[in-house]
Amino acid sequence: MTETAIPTRKSQGAVLALGLIGLAVAVVAVSFFSVTVGARPVSLDTIWQALTAFDANSTDHRIIWDLRLPRTLVGLMVGASLGLAGAVLQGATRNPLADPSILGIHSGAAVFVVLGVAVFGITQLSAYVWLAFAGAGAAMLVVYAIASLGREGATPIKLALAGAAMTAAMQSITSAILLTSPRTLDEIRFWQVGSLVGRGMDVVTQVAPFLAVGIVLALFTARMLDGLSMGEDVARSLGQNVNRSRAVAGLAAVVLAGGATAAAGPIAFVGLTVPHVARAITGPNYRWILPYSMLLAPILLLGADIIGRIIAPPGEVQVGIVTAVIGAPFFIALVRRRKLASL
Amino acid sequence: MSDAVLTVRHIRQNLASRRRVVSLGLTLALLVTFALALYLGDYAVPPSGVIQSLLSPLTGMANKGVDFIVLNVRLPRATLAVLTGASFALSGIIFQTLLRNPLASPDIIGISHGASAAAVVCIVLFGMTGFGVSLGALAGAVLTALIIYVLSWRNGVTAYRVVLIGIGMAAIMMAVVSYLFTRARLVEVQQALAWLVGSLNAANRADIIPLAIAMLVLLPITMALSRVLDALQLGDDTASALGARVETARLGLMLAGVAYAAFATAAVGPVAFVAFVSGPIARNLLNGAGKGFVQAALVGALVMLGSDLVAQHVIPAVQLPVGVVTGLLGAAFLIWLLIVSNRAGRVN
Amino acid sequence: MLLKTLLSVSVVALALLPALAQAEPWTYTDASGQTVTLDAVPTRIVAHQDAAAGLIPLGIRPIGIFADGPIADAKALQGLDLTGIEIVGQAWGEVDIEKVAALEPELIIGEWWDRNASWSGGTDVSAALFELAPITGPAASDSIVGMIKDYEALAASLGADLSAPEIAEAKASFATAQEAFKSAVDAKPNLTALAVYAGTDALYVADPAGAAELLDLESWGLNIVTPAGVDAAGNNYFETVSWENADKYPADLIMVDNRAPATLENALAQPTWTTLPAAASGAVTEWPAFWLRNYTAYAGALDKLTAAITAADENLTD
Repeated sequence: MTETAIPTRKSQGAVLALGLIGLAVAVVAVSFFSVTVGARPVSLDTIWQALTAFDANSTDHRIIWDLRLPRTLVGLMVGASLGLAGAVLQGATRNPLADPSILGIHSGAAVFVVLGVAVFGITQLSAYVWLAFAGAGAAMLVVYAIASLGREGATPIKLALAGAAMTAAMQSITSAILLTSPRTLDEIRFWQVGSLVGRGMDVVTQVAPFLAVGIVLALFTARMLDGLSMGEDVARSLGQNVNRSRAVAGLAAVVLAGGATAAAGPIAFVGLTVPHVARAITGPNYRWILPYSMLLAPILLLGADIIGRIIAPPGEVQVGIVTAVIGAPFFIALVRRRKLASL
Repeated sequence: MSDAVLTVRHIRQNLASRRRVVSLGLTLALLVTFALALYLGDYAVPPSGVIQSLLSPLTGMANKGVDFIVLNVRLPRATLAVLTGASFALSGIIFQTLLRNPLASPDIIGISHGASAAAVVCIVLFGMTGFGVSLGALAGAVLTALIIYVLSWRNGVTAYRVVLIGIGMAAIMMAVVSYLFTRARLVEVQQALAWLVGSLNAANRADIIPLAIAMLVLLPITMALSRVLDALQLGDDTASALGARVETARLGLMLAGVAYAAFATAAVGPVAFVAFVSGPIARNLLNGAGKGFVQAALVGALVMLGSDLVAQHVIPAVQLPVGVVTGLLGAAFLIWLLIVSNRAGRVN
Repeated sequence: MLLKTLLSVSVVALALLPALAQAEPWTYTDASGQTVTLDAVPTRIVAHQDAAAGLIPLGIRPIGIFADGPIADAKALQGLDLTGIEIVGQAWGEVDIEKVAALEPELIIGEWWDRNASWSGGTDVSAALFELAPITGPAASDSIVGMIKDYEALAASLGADLSAPEIAEAKASFATAQEAFKSAVDAKPNLTALAVYAGTDALYVADPAGAAELLDLESWGLNIVTPAGVDAAGNNYFETVSWENADKYPADLIMVDNRAPATLENALAQPTWTTLPAAASGAVTEWPAFWLRNYTAYAGALDKLTAAITAADENLTD
């Protein structure tokens, strides 16, 4: 048995590694389209000129440099972060439904942004970034603190309940402010959709350091998540510190999801679905699930963004809407097609 | 042997008396809150005036201003709060029991979202208001539930698939809502948001009648079918051993759960968390003494009515929609539940 | 004794006579075609924020106002004295019905929106208020000047003295502002103007047909760009244009919706806004979007527009 199993596992590893390379190529391709395709037709020649001989007075050149390049970078970072955050959360909580939105991260970010707009009159996206980041971090800390009360620490069900509680409370506050301040509602309704529009290089440089740290941290949790997926007792018997593993994974997730929400607003569906897709391809091993999620998610996000740019000319459809509308049926089909590995 | 029988009988009696105490306490609390709801308000009416107004259809003694406030404003509002609260709670506990997951209430698995998306479509795309929006929400909830059920069907329906597909549907519905929010005029967004939060501010008798009729039909059905749930709670394997009767009961209850959520949402909007928390609160109070359907309905009514009182009166200048307060209360309850269950060393 | 009683009764009757003579029935036919008839001229009026903005400068003070949002944000009411007026609603679709009932209103005044077949404030609010007093008011029409005239007629029927000096003064200053605007426009026949709302997600180009004040400005000679097609539903007074296509409609002067200061800030943050010829040369001014309801506010808005038109280059774009 072992004689046949070992080569199979090896060849499976080779196939998965090849798949990763294929995904990386796909990421490059989708980035290329993200720079070249948009609501306004700009020829490849002009794009080349914009990249090599930039003219600040040319609207086309400025669109490439000031709109499409930062937007593509934000899409790549946010996508990778959301995919990883979702996978890490699902692994750490062993809950297939764990998602930044379910753990209160989105609602925490939203309430801070809404307060910033309503109370301090902030209207610039680059200022939203810090607010959203602070809100996401605060929400996640509170959720984690509440869930950790008691002897057994932050178990999956307690995390989910605490997250739901946080979400409910934050949404109530958000709604109360929005209902009494149409001015704030008018600003926030465009942020709340989740969008890559209008994110400039300032947003990229603001969140990139956080996301880089988060990505490295998340990729290092793979072994711990594999341990946890066998059950806490098994993980403990293998000498793993379960609570520390969860804390590290939680930290990675909050940095990633908080940064992503700060950059693009609350995008709900990517973090939930992409890890399921990755798991369907790779099987239950987090050493593969994490990199696959990290590459699949930006393809979904940027692909959705490109579709959103061209389906409603001369306007655009926000990426958060397109990801849900194309992602959810795909997800449903996946749920129907196979018995998803329960975690 | 006889000792064991005696112990079992003793436990049964204890459980029954606990059930009675919980039901009685909840009913009393509900009555007191209802009386408060009729008495409190910006338009000062003394208790005697409230009673006089309530009796005026019998006595014929009318005081136009006071009667308007008591009979046309406060009474319909409080009645609607009780009916919708109970409906949301029943819907929640049905789904939580059937799907055996505390997160599986209709406000999580997409049914409320379907109602919301339909209502926002009615408001933004068709410029509808009032009854038209309610009708749209009703249709949206039922249609979404149907789609979730059909999509989850694959040689039977498993709870796990229903929840996952429900969450997928919820994401699509919320995307529709967000998209319309960015496409609509600001006043329409305001109208839609107020509806989405859920409010009793526009409560009138016309909202009550469809819901009351629905509940009169649904309550006996629910109680009859819920007996089968005892078997269900033992797990799918045991339940399926009981045969097709269980599957029918399950489907019937699911439909009833959808209907409760749909009619209540149509009347007041998708008020957050009443469906989610009422069942767990009731079960916590009962502490194992029964399924808690009746008690959950009482809890739901109490939560809704109490929240509306707080929403109306806690900030003097502002009338908050009830959904804002139920959200906060729901959060507080969940945190309390976490703390209490930690102390007891268990989590349900 | 009997005589004395008779005498006192007749004295009371005599004293009542003048009051009875004044109590003529009051009628008003509103824009939805409904006629409201009351036994006497109503004095206890609860009004929507926009109706209040139309009536207060004419000397008709409501006792209560319901607003679409926080009263401080109500652009239409800015500069008006609201002391002594109870605010009975500060969110869209919400009114504190008990507060209104305590005010014992005789009449509710709002604006009729033919497009939605509803009163301003929304159906929920008007249905609740209608149980307390009849609702009436002019239509939200296709001319602000026309709406101001409707408010004058309504105010006159409610007992306002339209010849009062401050009212005449406001009217005169509007007439002056209007003439100045017309001659500024006449002096620049090639000038084109664009009315926009700037969001963080996109630029929204207004269709003048959907905004009464833009129709007024057009009728006084201003060339306002009409977008090729407005959105099919929802926000259908505007065409949504991606920021990449911000230069789709060239114009010499851009008017930015001034209901919230954030709108202009949103625009300034966009790289493609700054490359627009009008924005680059500073030919950007305020569009008093949807909220003008009286001559004083209108005159102020026109003065700003006139100054911007005078400063603009009519041949900036072709």
